[in-house]
Amino acid sequence: MTRLVEVPAQFDDRSFDQFAGAFAEARRDDERLLFDAHAADWASPYGLVGLLAAGQAARRPGSGAPAERPLLTAPTSPEVLSYWARAGFFREAAGLFEIHGKVPRVKAAEQSEVLLPVTPVRAAEDVHAVVSKIQQRASAILASELSLDPKATMGFAMALSEACQNIVEHAGTGGWVAVQAYNWRRKLARRVVVIAVADAGVGFRHSLEPTQNKRFGDRWGDAAALEAALVQGVSRFRDPGRGQGLAGIRRYLQRWTGKIAIRSGTARIAIVPQWDDDVPLKEGLPPFPGAQVSIIIPEQGSAER
Amino acid sequence: MIQYIDMHAVLQASISGVYADLVTRPTGRVVRERIERAIAGGRGGEGGTGEITVARMDFTGVGCIDYSCADEIVAKLLRDRPAVLVLSGITDGHREAIEPVLSGHGLAALIERADGTLESLGAAAAAAALLDELVARRLAARRPGGTYALTLA
Repeated sequence: MTRLVEVPAQFDDRSFDQFAGAFAEARRDDERLLFDAHAADWASPYGLVGLLAAGQAARRPGSGAPAERPLLTAPTSPEVLSYWARAGFFREAAGLFEIHGKVPRVKAAEQSEVLLPVTPVRAAEDVHAVVSKIQQRASAILASELSLDPKATMGFAMALSEACQNIVEHAGTGGWVAVQAYNWRRKLARRVVVIAVADAGVGFRHSLEPTQNKRFGDRWGDAAALEAALVQGVSRFRDPGRGQGLAGIRRYLQRWTGKIAIRSGTARIAIVPQWDDDVPLKEGLPPFPGAQVSIIIPEQGSAER
Repeated sequence: MIQYIDMHAVLQASISGVYADLVTRPTGRVVRERIERAIAGGRGGEGGTGEITVARMDFTGVGCIDYSCADEIVAKLLRDRPAVLVLSGITDGHREAIEPVLSGHGLAALIERADGTLESLGAAAAAAALLDELVARRLAARRPGGTYALTLA
């Protein structure tokens, strides 16, 4: 029997909880999953890498046979299909899903809005490749479209590097990153650059549990783990220099009025700039494996610095 | 003696490929270990002279350095041994990564500007101690105007 997981028509960080709820419900009886994206008409980078993480988590180990892949029905809209292909989604999805529907043979884009197509991150070398590529692509766009100081490009690469390293160092599995620039009508009516990172690994609570569980006592859980990592700069390593990455990302975002949100397990934490009305911490969300990170840097000018 | 470290060359020798960025902990660890070997070699082996290491680290040609690498290389070199690090070829982006890492641990390094003057980076008290150390060892001297510069430049 196959269980259906509907992919929201507008698939982004806001609708992700709805998707995670359907995913958690469908996984209960360990049946093969069918991710239905036929009606999708838009997906943010966060939605795309989150869907890949779901596909990674939904692989069912066969009895001696290769793992059984979940099914995915591709979007029916030609424009959406083309966009997902240009964003590099299908290149990665091909190894995770049994895809149904016509997928265009389009190369992952090297075009203006896709600064970095969906890219796998498994090891330190992948982070090097991502950082190298983003510096070549992003510099002009950050300066011309977001009015960021050209010096901000290196900070952007640093933030991206640290976000990707969370996968390498903490997830216990691979993940994906994507970077795009687009007009964000919903909140700002201006251009933004979005970094989305997702994995289906062990998540923050599991990663920090050996060193932080006792410290938090009864409060320990996904929310406490996220708070420890993002707000207190705690790392699972006892090395005193650890925990620099997320702290550095926060500094960078503070300077450019950016936003970071991290979802892991059943909680989501955000550092919320003035232009957004998101809540800083949400608990009791539908469980979803690993960690999903969203970083948004808005066009400078009308946002307060 | 001031040890010269070409960071771009060390990076190129440390990782495969053509990357010019000091990013990720593993890369930082490999780069630091190479620097430590170079420093030990320059001092005549691990037994060394017992003197404080003074290393001039040239970042020319290095693209981006992230916080993890800044900690793994610069902060750990300072945490694990008495050392004076003089950083040259530093961009604002490099500085953005290195400064908070040093300040967070009460550590400091010196930046050698293009005109040869020294500027402190990191915790103020630690930076003042570094300058005192260099002056006491006659590796740096005060210039007219109150700035400092290396004497062996």
